[in-house]
Amino acid sequence: MGAAFAALAVSAIAQEPLVPGPGADLTQAKCVVCHEIQHVVRSRQSRAEWEDTMQRMVKRGAPLTPDEIRVITDYLATYYNREGPSAAAQAASAQAAVAQAQADPVTQLLNRNACLGCHAVEKPVVGPAFREVATRYKSDAAAPARLAKKLKDGGQGAWGQVPMPPNPGLTDADARLIVEWVLTRE
Amino acid sequence: MTNPIRPIDPDSPPARREFLARVATLGALAAAGSGIARRALAQAAPPVDPPGTVPNAQVLAPKSQAFTVYSARPLTGSVTAEYQDFDVTPNDAMFIRNNLLTPDLDASKHVLRVRGLVDRPLEIPLAELKKMPSFTTQAMVECAGSGRSAFEPRATGTPWAPTGGMGCPQWTGVSLGDILKRAGVKPGTGHVAFSGDDIGAVPTAPKVIRSIPMSKAMERHTMVAWGMNGGDLPKVHGYPLRVVVPGWVGSASIKWVSGIEVLDAPFKGTYMDDSYRIPRTPVAPGSKLPADAVTTEAWPVKSIITLPGPGDRYKLGGLLIVRGSAWAGDYDIERVDLSLDGGATWQPANLTPRADRYAWRRFRLEAPLTRTGELTILARATDERGNTQPITSTWNPLGYFWNAIPRVGIVVEKV
Repeated sequence: MGAAFAALAVSAIAQEPLVPGPGADLTQAKCVVCHEIQHVVRSRQSRAEWEDTMQRMVKRGAPLTPDEIRVITDYLATYYNREGPSAAAQAASAQAAVAQAQADPVTQLLNRNACLGCHAVEKPVVGPAFREVATRYKSDAAAPARLAKKLKDGGQGAWGQVPMPPNPGLTDADARLIVEWVLTRE
Repeated sequence: MTNPIRPIDPDSPPARREFLARVATLGALAAAGSGIARRALAQAAPPVDPPGTVPNAQVLAPKSQAFTVYSARPLTGSVTAEYQDFDVTPNDAMFIRNNLLTPDLDASKHVLRVRGLVDRPLEIPLAELKKMPSFTTQAMVECAGSGRSAFEPRATGTPWAPTGGMGCPQWTGVSLGDILKRAGVKPGTGHVAFSGDDIGAVPTAPKVIRSIPMSKAMERHTMVAWGMNGGDLPKVHGYPLRVVVPGWVGSASIKWVSGIEVLDAPFKGTYMDDSYRIPRTPVAPGSKLPADAVTTEAWPVKSIITLPGPGDRYKLGGLLIVRGSAWAGDYDIERVDLSLDGGATWQPANLTPRADRYAWRRFRLEAPLTRTGELTILARATDERGNTQPITSTWNPLGYFWNAIPRVGIVVEKV
C-alpha cells in the first residue's frame, strides 16, 4: 500500500490547470519540461520575484528565448501575484478561455501535451524543429504510423541522445492528427 | 493497519482520524482507477525521466505513510514534527529535497575525484574509500527552506510545512579532512566544492554544485558518507556516496557526490548565486533578492515539538508528556523552555545529553492535566551563545531559516 499511496499522491498533485490568459499555453509548455504545473499554480509572487524566478530557471537550463521569458513573466506577474488578477486581467482570461476552446484541434493537442515546451516549427529547442522532421520523413510512406507510435511510447536516438518522454495519454487518433500536421510543416 | 511511526496509541483520535482520511482518499483514487490517475498526470505534466533515473514511485515506496510529497519534479517531501518523535530519524521519515532527478548509480563503478588546488589529484574508487578510517555520527541535515510555509506573506519555493524538512539520522563515512589531507591542499585555498551526479530533465541543466569554506570542510565531522542508519544510503538520499555538512543547510550536503574541487574562493554557479541566499538586512516582501545577499550556511537555533501532535485529545487528570528536539547549527543547545499556557508562563524542560557533536538534543517535560479545554504548548530553545528562538522569523525572498517558536494545541476533556 505504501507504493500505491506514494504513486497516487504524486498523481494527485498535478491536476489543477493554469488560469487561461495571454501566455498561459507557453507558460504551461515550458514549465512542465521540468516541473509539474502545480509548482506554478500554488505560487503567488510579485513581478520582481517572478523576474528573479525566471532568471533562476534560465540558469538551471530552461530552454527559453528572451521573448518567451517576457511573455511568461508578464503572464505570471498578471495572474499569480499576491493581490490576484486585476479586473482587466480577468476579462482577458475569459477571452482567452473562449479562444482556447475554439482553437483548432491540433493547437489544443500541442498545448495540452506540452509539445511546444521542447519543439518549435522553425528552430530546434530541446527536440528537433517540426520543419526538420517534415523534411526528413517527407518521402517515407511508413513514417506517419511509426512517428505516431513514437509520440505515445517516447523515443531516443533519431535526433540525438536527448530522449522524448512517452505520452501514454494520447489516443491513436490524436497522435496521428499531430503527426500529419507536423509532416506538413516543411 | 496502524501507522508504523506514530509513537502514541494508534487508536487515539488524531492518529485514527488521519488514517481514516488517508484510506478514504486512497479509496476515491483507486475507484477512479490508477490508469486514469496516471493518464491525468501524463496530460497535465508529461514525466520527463531520462534513462538512468529512479522513478518516484520506487523512491517513495519505503517512506512512512505520514510522508507528504510537496512536488514530484523535482521530488520534495517530508513528515511533520509529530511523526518525528524519535531520538534518531529513521530512513522512512527522512525528508527529500532533490534539485534534479534521482540517479540510478552503480556503486561498483563509482569513483570520487578530487581536483583543483591540491598537490595530488585523486581518483578514489568507492571500495578503496571504504578502506580509509571511517566513523559513524548522528548529525542534523535540514533544508534551508524547512518551515517555509509559516512565512507570512508566503515566500517563493517548496511549501515545506512549518515543522517539515529536517532530520537527524546516523551517517557512516570518512572525514572529508582525511581525503583533503591525502590530496594535499595547497596553502591559501578558501573553499571546497562538491559536485553531484543527479540528472536533469533537460540536457542544458547544470550540475548541482555547492562549495563550503575550508574551515568547515576541515571540521572532522564534515564527511563523505556511504552509510545511513546502519545500511547503505537509500538511492534518493545519495546512494552510493554523499557529503554530510552537519548543522548546515541541506544544499551543502551534496548527494550522489563524485567530484570534490579545492578552490581559492566560493564556487560560482546557480546553486550558489541564485538560490540559498538571504539578504544581509531585512527587505520588504515582494522585493527582488538584493545583489549583496549572502549564502546560507549554519542553521540558527531551532526546536520542534514531537509529542503531542496538533489536536491530540487528553483526559482531565491524566499526565501530559511533552517531547521534542532542539538544535543550533554549529553550536550546542543551552536550554529549552516550555510553556503550557500559550506563553504566559515558562518552565525549563529536561534536556538529554547530545548523542554526537551535531545531533539534536531531545527534551522532555511531564505535567498533570488539571483543567479542561484547549491547551497551547510552546517550546523555546536557547543556544550556548545565548541566541533564543524568535516569536517569528525574519521574512526573506526565498523563505529560508524559519526557526520561530513552535506551537502545538491539544484538547483536554472531562473524564
